[in-house]
Amino acid sequence: MDKVLQFERRTKPVDPGGPGPGDDGDGGPARPKVERPDTRDLLRRMRRVDPNQARRYRQRTGE
Amino acid sequence: MWCAQCRFAPGESGAPQGMAWCDMTRLFGIETEYGITIDEVDKVDVVEESMQLIRCYQQGAFVPLWDYRLENPRRDERGFEVKNLLNDADEKVHLQQDRKRKIPFKELKSDLIIYNGSRFYNDHTHPEYSTGECTSLFELVAQDKAGERIVDICAQRRTEMLDQGVVRMYKNNTDFEGHSYGCHENYLMDRSVPFERILQGLLLFFPTRQIFCGAGKVGVEREDRAPIYQLSQRAEFFEVIASVDTMHKRPVVNTRDEPHADAAQYRRLHVIVGDANMSEYITALKVGSTALVIDLIEAGCLPDYQLKDPIAAMKNIARDQSYAWLVEVEGPGHRLIPAVEIQDAFLALARREFAGRDRETDWVLSAWEDVIEKLRRDPMDLVGVCDWVTKKWLIDSFCEAEDLAWDNPDDLFWMQSQDLEYSNVDRDAGLYYLLESQGQMVRLVGDDEVAAAMSEPPSGTRAYFRGRSLEKFGDYVSSINWDRIVFKRNGRQHAVDMKLLVDEERVVRYNEVLDRSETLESFLEALDKVERRP
Repeated sequence: MDKVLQFERRTKPVDPGGPGPGDDGDGGPARPKVERPDTRDLLRRMRRVDPNQARRYRQRTGE
Repeated sequence: MWCAQCRFAPGESGAPQGMAWCDMTRLFGIETEYGITIDEVDKVDVVEESMQLIRCYQQGAFVPLWDYRLENPRRDERGFEVKNLLNDADEKVHLQQDRKRKIPFKELKSDLIIYNGSRFYNDHTHPEYSTGECTSLFELVAQDKAGERIVDICAQRRTEMLDQGVVRMYKNNTDFEGHSYGCHENYLMDRSVPFERILQGLLLFFPTRQIFCGAGKVGVEREDRAPIYQLSQRAEFFEVIASVDTMHKRPVVNTRDEPHADAAQYRRLHVIVGDANMSEYITALKVGSTALVIDLIEAGCLPDYQLKDPIAAMKNIARDQSYAWLVEVEGPGHRLIPAVEIQDAFLALARREFAGRDRETDWVLSAWEDVIEKLRRDPMDLVGVCDWVTKKWLIDSFCEAEDLAWDNPDDLFWMQSQDLEYSNVDRDAGLYYLLESQGQMVRLVGDDEVAAAMSEPPSGTRAYFRGRSLEKFGDYVSSINWDRIVFKRNGRQHAVDMKLLVDEERVVRYNEVLDRSETLESFLEALDKVERRP
């Protein structure tokens, strides 16, 4: 299967009281089964991140 | 009154058998300080920018309502009050400069209460969003995510106001240069529990829970600055076992004593040791498992372990590249056990004591077990679930594709930039949100629920009373705090003390009165009757 097709999946919220994604069908709470995603789109996006963003990111200590 | 999760009223036909409520019974909430920056601006004045960002939430002029007289962060749970809270040396210099600012204190803080019962304000150097009190984990997740959306919208508005640059907001805990800011959890708990027992439980639980709720971080920013991947953003900032301070010599157990409830009956456990989580699943598991551990502490039922050095354990677990997470426990000889075993021991006790109590407790027990199993077998099975695992997977993939080296400082900065972008709350830019949009992150709430939580308070708690009071009778509110609202009408003040609004029956009565009342007069009169009712 073309890995890109995996990106067609949409996020679905879990019904906290009922079966969730990856649930084994026993009616119990959600047990997540998440496939490791294809990386092509991700890497394309990550290459656009400014390499110096963290170098410039300066905060002050908070509570 | 409806349960927000199962949509049934207690006892109603069709409601879950033997479980009156889906949600847990303890009050809890999350406070998040956000990092702020502006692209193309070299030196951002974070104090000024945090204030401006908060003010972007509202349309009209800011009216300061927050009552600071009821706050005292210097009071210690152990029965004393410190003179001053400690600041690090760097911050002391900044504070001296801040004193020269011409902006009045209340204006600078820009403290807002939102109709959803949350507090949104400038915590001096960071915009902070504190959710209203919840008893449902899933409502809490929605409220926490609502905070992200609100912060993001304010950033967009602020960007539109600026001549140059884009305001970016990060739900993280570090600037990689030794400055850390918090994501604090609050849990209401029984005052009668001896503080020593609280310490005993939390000093075992907190250092080890980061194996599933750490947010992950590229690099070490104190001490040796080792170029490694850490489980937690905050672990390396903790230096003492217990204290009231939160900015310097941070404690594993914070002893701030501000119950915002009847102090004779309750403590508010103020947890500063956690990371800010993007993962909905981990936010729920972090708070849910901690709430169950507090249940165990109250019940006097704890695993038979004691960490020899909880601070060292915390740092070692965060830095352990083998993921064996061995910690030294007290006892004869040199005894090392995996942190997973300690979490498993807590889980076993919680299961024995609380299984079947309500549906959210059962969800926590199941999720906790599942995560522990995967951590034991292969942590990378938790991509899309745990923040630290997902981020590590992203960084590793990027390093491999770009042939980056951990010992090359320039490469390390690029990795840290990716780390930062994971927590960018802009849903079109953040790496977490890219994964979420691709269906790769497990979710617990829908976008519609998050959107609703931006204006709807959590059900069944005093957050509803606070938010709705402001919405209905805001013109008459002269001051507000977590536990008190003062209304002013015809020159007379009417204070409503909400300290007792942690009792479920009383909350129901107060909220019903509020919903029924058309005018402030009828509202205050009805409240008075409720209070006088036997």
